[in-house]
Amino acid sequence: MSADPHTLLLDRGNLERRRRVNRAVEAVSIAAAVLAVAVLVIVVGSVFLKGVDALSWHFLTTPTALFGEAGGGISNAIIGSAIIVGIAAAMAIPVGILVAIHTTEFAPPQISHPVRFVLDILNGVPTIITGIFVFGLMVEGDKQSAFAASVALAIVMLPIVARTAQEVLALVPGSLKEAAHALGIARWRMTVRITIPTAAGGLITGSLLAVARVAGETAPIILLSSIVGQGNLTDPGEALASIPYFIFQASESPKPEAHTEAWAAALVLIAFVLALNVVARAFYARSRNRMGA
Amino acid sequence: MPETRTAYQEELERLEASALDGLNLVSDALQRTMEAIEHQDVELAQIVVADDDRIDGRYLEVHQSLITLLATQSPVATDLRLISALLHVLKNVERMGDQCVNICKLIPLTGNEPPADEAMVKLILGMGSQTRTLIGQAKRAFAERDSELARDLVRQDDVVDDLNRDCFRLALELGDDADRREWAMTMLLAARAIERIADNAVDIGEQVAFVVTGLFREFEDASHPA
Amino acid sequence: MDSRNPTESAALTEPNPDPQLNPQTGSAAAGPTISVAGPNARASLRPSRAQGTIELRDLHAYYGRTHAVRGLDLAFAAGKVTAIIGPSGCGKSTMVRCINRMHEEIDGARAEGEVLLDGLDLYDPRIDIVAVRRAVGMVFQKPNPFPTMSIFDNVVSGLRLSGAPRGEIDDRGREALVAAGLWEEVKGRLKGPGVGLSGGQQQRLCIARALAVDPEVLLMDEPCSALDPVATLRIEELIGELKERVTIVIVTHNMQQAARVADTTVFMLDGELVEIGPTEKLFTTPDDERTEQYVTGKFG
Repeated sequence: MSADPHTLLLDRGNLERRRRVNRAVEAVSIAAAVLAVAVLVIVVGSVFLKGVDALSWHFLTTPTALFGEAGGGISNAIIGSAIIVGIAAAMAIPVGILVAIHTTEFAPPQISHPVRFVLDILNGVPTIITGIFVFGLMVEGDKQSAFAASVALAIVMLPIVARTAQEVLALVPGSLKEAAHALGIARWRMTVRITIPTAAGGLITGSLLAVARVAGETAPIILLSSIVGQGNLTDPGEALASIPYFIFQASESPKPEAHTEAWAAALVLIAFVLALNVVARAFYARSRNRMGA
Repeated sequence: MPETRTAYQEELERLEASALDGLNLVSDALQRTMEAIEHQDVELAQIVVADDDRIDGRYLEVHQSLITLLATQSPVATDLRLISALLHVLKNVERMGDQCVNICKLIPLTGNEPPADEAMVKLILGMGSQTRTLIGQAKRAFAERDSELARDLVRQDDVVDDLNRDCFRLALELGDDADRREWAMTMLLAARAIERIADNAVDIGEQVAFVVTGLFREFEDASHPA
Repeated sequence: MDSRNPTESAALTEPNPDPQLNPQTGSAAAGPTISVAGPNARASLRPSRAQGTIELRDLHAYYGRTHAVRGLDLAFAAGKVTAIIGPSGCGKSTMVRCINRMHEEIDGARAEGEVLLDGLDLYDPRIDIVAVRRAVGMVFQKPNPFPTMSIFDNVVSGLRLSGAPRGEIDDRGREALVAAGLWEEVKGRLKGPGVGLSGGQQQRLCIARALAVDPEVLLMDEPCSALDPVATLRIEELIGELKERVTIVIVTHNMQQAARVADTTVFMLDGELVEIGPTEKLFTTPDDERTEQYVTGKFG
């Protein structure tokens, strides 16, 4: 029994050791975070440094030069990529969102759980396999086309869109649905006018992220739409140029200028992906605010 | 069922006991008053008058606590009826105490000589003792929530009323005698005060029925003779 | 919204001394209007407020195997406020959700028995369940305005999304806001976000939203639990004003609230009806010992 009850609170030698352990753990976690950020910075940085020299307005607006000639650009690749990804998105996004709506709003658990599972598996299928599948389906015995590439990319996008849409729709508070029910609003009307608008931010986020993901998918492109030059083609029935394929081809060329052009194209691609991610995040934040209110 | 609101219940029980104990105080005061009349004891009478402060203090204290319970505990149903009844009981107790004081204040007037008429004094003492029985019965009826016992108070009260009428007739006779006239009238005032105390006890009995059934009915009063 | 043969619905009801005109056929159809001819007909019907009686007959409700409501026989008078009190889990919320058929929306939940609105059984298989919910409105414990809509859009959401005639929407929306005591406070910012109001205002918004579809009955499931005392008292005032226009059934944990707002009080225990009576009676001289124990706080 000591006279001073506060002795119980005094340090008994543990304190210094605890402080040191705390600081060590903190330091390690900071280092890991720095490493992760550093990787992105290094990648983006080196792409920038290696490619910025070839980047110019001319580069962006001129189609790729024909065999061996210099002075070309990537305008046809940009347009081709836009068409391929655009068609893929037009196919995958509505279907993905509808699948998500079905599983969260209308399907009983016996259906929605297997569907979720299948989507997760689809998400993990290597894109080269998807490419081969579509090759066998649409190109073999026929010819390559941008449309076939779009189909493959749409298959890759579908699970991404659907899963993020599912997550966001599930976050819509049950109390809103209760309120809608109690007002005598029919189910589908409630889904269209209340659930979807409330989840809209998240749905857009999922879609944008899916687009960002497939913008650079190369394996299907190689199999299904592997072309570099030949002017500004816009017919999806034909094979179209695309940025990933341009990078692939240019990097294999013996000429050093081609390499620089590859880096420049990569820079364009990564800038596009980064921009999409930033916009997607902004929509997500807005959606969170709506739900939390 | 788990115990809830025990503090509240205990407080309510305590206040009921305190209010009913006021009847003990009144009964004692009445007894001493009767002694003072019997023995012409002026000092005893003054003690009774002074002691009435205790009864008044009891009234104020319990009354305040009951009001506090009403404000803080939102009593309903039986609890609410009980509190309402206790407020009435307190008022009755306080009045009873005041009536004793009224009687005791008369006593110096009657002087220190031996009483003028033995018969009258006997009547008064009889009323007092009967009224004390009434008070005890009213207290038991309330504590035990016994409606039958409460109703019986009416019958007991009739005895007191009869004795009161006898006092009146006796006073009329004594009134012819100029020496004893004043004394007789003073005694009549005392008898009347005792009769009022008995009525207050009957009122307490009426509260018993209210607590038990929620209905308030007068047993009998001036407009509804039994 | 299926269109119903008006004469068929006449066969569903008992004869009613207040015949109403069915705009499609022009003939008198007996009984309440909820399943007749689709939503567009409603606006011109409902002559007086002398409707809105609810009667429960042998109502049972289940969650899977749990028997939550056991054989309830109960009536709610029109134009009055009835409070339902009882300890947690006694089935009061479940019972109320059977009245507007929200109970069966829960997975594995079902209800049996009859719920009669002005003599028409809401559980009759021919009844349009969505129309039931327009005749019987509901306000919930936590205010739930739609976050993507403005204040005014919230109020008229029930009207818009169930096909009410365009021209009427503005008037009915305004009228509902007035009836809910919210008009003065929001008239300058009807386009503002519904979620930008205080808790008490949001709840009154939800009340306005429920009133806009012109129900006969309004169910309130602990509407003030999430509100501060001043907001609570305002809503209690509002309930007193609204009861002329809609029959109100309010579930509440707060006995003092039941005592303040209700004309009739119902005490439930373990899914059964214990006692029903005028509120003053239940709180001064209850008949059943269990009611006495509950209202004085000896358990619950």
